Amino acid sequence: MQQQQKVAALSYSFPEEVLEHVFSFIDSTKDRGSISLVCKSWYEIERWCRRRVFVGNCYAITPAMVIKRFPKVRSITLKGKPHFADFNLVPEGWGGYVCPWIKAMAVAFPCLEEIKLKRMVISDDCLDLIAKSFKNFKVLVLISCEGFTTDGLASIAANCRNLRELDLRESEVEDICGHWLSHFPDSYTSLVSLNISCLANEVNFPALERLVSRCPNMHTLRLNRAAPLDKLANLLRGAPQLVELGTGAYTSEMRPEVFTNLAAAFSGCKQMKGLSGFWDVLPSYLPAVYPVCSRLTSLNLSYATIQSPDLIKLVGQCQSLQRLWVLDYIEDAGLDMLAASCKDLRELRVFPSDPFGLEANVALTEQGLVSVSEGCPKLHSVLYFCRQMTNAALNTIARNRPNMTRFRLCIIEPRTPDYLTLQSLDSGFGAIVEHCKDLQRLSLSGLLTDRVFEHIGTYAKKLEMLSVAFAGDSDLGLHHVLSGCDNLRKLEIRDCPFGDKALLANAAKLETMRSLWMSSCSVSYGACKLLGQKLPRLNVEVIDERGPPNLRPDSNPVEKLYIYRTISGPRLDMPGYVWTMEDDSAYLE
Amino acid sequence: METYEQIDAHQTQSSSSSSSSIDSNNYPSSLCLSSVYRNSSSSRNRTDLSTDLKLGLSISPSSQSQLPREETCDWPPINKSILRSTLAEKQRPSLFVKVYMEGIPIGRKLNLLEHHSYDGLIKALCHMFRTTILCPNSQPLNSWNFHVLTYEDQEGDWMMVGDVPWEMFLSSVKRLKITRANSC
Repeated sequence: MQQQQKVAALSYSFPEEVLEHVFSFIDSTKDRGSISLVCKSWYEIERWCRRRVFVGNCYAITPAMVIKRFPKVRSITLKGKPHFADFNLVPEGWGGYVCPWIKAMAVAFPCLEEIKLKRMVISDDCLDLIAKSFKNFKVLVLISCEGFTTDGLASIAANCRNLRELDLRESEVEDICGHWLSHFPDSYTSLVSLNISCLANEVNFPALERLVSRCPNMHTLRLNRAAPLDKLANLLRGAPQLVELGTGAYTSEMRPEVFTNLAAAFSGCKQMKGLSGFWDVLPSYLPAVYPVCSRLTSLNLSYATIQSPDLIKLVGQCQSLQRLWVLDYIEDAGLDMLAASCKDLRELRVFPSDPFGLEANVALTEQGLVSVSEGCPKLHSVLYFCRQMTNAALNTIARNRPNMTRFRLCIIEPRTPDYLTLQSLDSGFGAIVEHCKDLQRLSLSGLLTDRVFEHIGTYAKKLEMLSVAFAGDSDLGLHHVLSGCDNLRKLEIRDCPFGDKALLANAAKLETMRSLWMSSCSVSYGACKLLGQKLPRLNVEVIDERGPPNLRPDSNPVEKLYIYRTISGPRLDMPGYVWTMEDDSAYLE
Repeated sequence: METYEQIDAHQTQSSSSSSSSIDSNNYPSSLCLSSVYRNSSSSRNRTDLSTDLKLGLSISPSSQSQLPREETCDWPPINKSILRSTLAEKQRPSLFVKVYMEGIPIGRKLNLLEHHSYDGLIKALCHMFRTTILCPNSQPLNSWNFHVLTYEDQEGDWMMVGDVPWEMFLSSVKRLKITRANSC
């Protein structure tokens, strides 16, 4: 007791500046949040010196609230649409507009340096506002964003003299003009990272070459598919300091000098740690990258449509790999080789080359993943698309890799059982959650009953995000998850027979989570209304493209349901097919 | 032997044709196909080409042109950029022919639609068989050290590659053979 008082007295005796200095060493927003909960004075000090803010859902809070609490923000990260938007489950025009944020911040944060957006809609006008409002703007990251064109990018290029990073990963940019790159002034030299892999058209290559060669600190450059291979060598010669390179199309008419130039240019890149791109790859050109392979820690071959023997040759050169993304062309044989040679591998993603085919087009099975789990002791993150699985394999993987934190398995055909025993995969996924105590993210697939959710509720205590599709048999399944997973923040469910009972019984749990998505499930419109009334701090949004849900009986299931925690009330930018269940919905009837 | 052939088939299958360097200028184009070919700048156009070819001639594309299903598909959960690149791969037309070289027992497969001209084809074959092949329009300097490229047409006759415009060649070739210049 005495000790505690002493500590408290000591902390009071610290001048604010000292605490501020101490806090400045704490980067994680989670830890900053904890600091602000200690006492009123810490809350005050912390909010004045908070430079980075992360908003996991742009509708969970208003820009004004963020500005009021954190007046000196330099870097903001905002996320918009639900994750399932990546897979076409969120209709066009749903929302996630960043404009209100930019407008508010343009006034409040003149010193803002970084904006990072994910799944948001940003217009050219907004980009222009960014370009002209923040005098020392440095970082613009637009991941899976849309709504803008190369004109907006030209404005960023022309005005942001201190821009260090421009990342357009997976965004949908209307590509009007390849000349936007030439809007970077000749005196501009601060670019460190440029990712234009999503652009459709060829950029002005001479402008790109000049830009790259005059930015001495450039370490990341990711080109798009339209960037021709025969120009890559010259580009690389101008930037031998590159650490991450995304090639463009990795093909051309066979010309020996293209190969020799390229090989020579790669030999000069002594810092190279990551490679991606490789669209339309012509395997005969791949040996050109061999000079950098032994240093590579990251290799993204998810666009490289080449067959197993060629992949094996390439990956076999890269023994320091920590992260590999690859198409299933790698096959079990390639994964065996990976297991044997890449002892430092931490993350593996295997994507399907023929996702809509009915028959397997490659020899990739559960065995490949089992091999990697055996051979790579540091493996902790997996995304694996395949066509067959067994409980035995999942059990082995779980026992081999108790350090797994992210495990996403997609068996392409929904409700596929263990192909050896024809049983459900309950016990296999059960083993994953039981053995992998630090599991944070899990995606389920295959034939699954409510049993698997019982396992998950019992064991997955650190699980933060769960994706479920075509699984379970009753409300009990969802109930196990909502009542058992203490740390769950995001839950996304599609095509499962989960309904009102589980949702209403665990309504309070929803207030502890960031969001819940349910589509093609069995939640009735009546239950949605009830939830909206019971829990005013939740936005309960019904998405129904068939028309107003109140024209149908309350007992009818809704098409899609998106529930999220918010302190800003119902949003105002909903399209016609979204209905929010408010407190007053009772008397609207 | 079989494996070797397969590997190469994969290799050629997955390589692409750059649509920028179309060179059929050496030949007056007598086929209406060639204009389609010259204007083709997207894979869709190229698919159209192969479909056209198939109608009148004996070329089969590897897969029929299909509309991208990405707009409607929500399962399996794959992000759009990967979906796009794998679908684009599927839509690439192909015209595989076997290539043999005198003295080498293993035949290899080659996708002719990945090349836009005799020059490109011959360069690819030189690389593939690590030899020098005489271009059809150049004069033999010393025929002793060179190979020439011949093809079997639909009638079963062996002809010198380069005797007809490229597009016509595409419609009549059955297989290719690289032979010593002095032996033919």
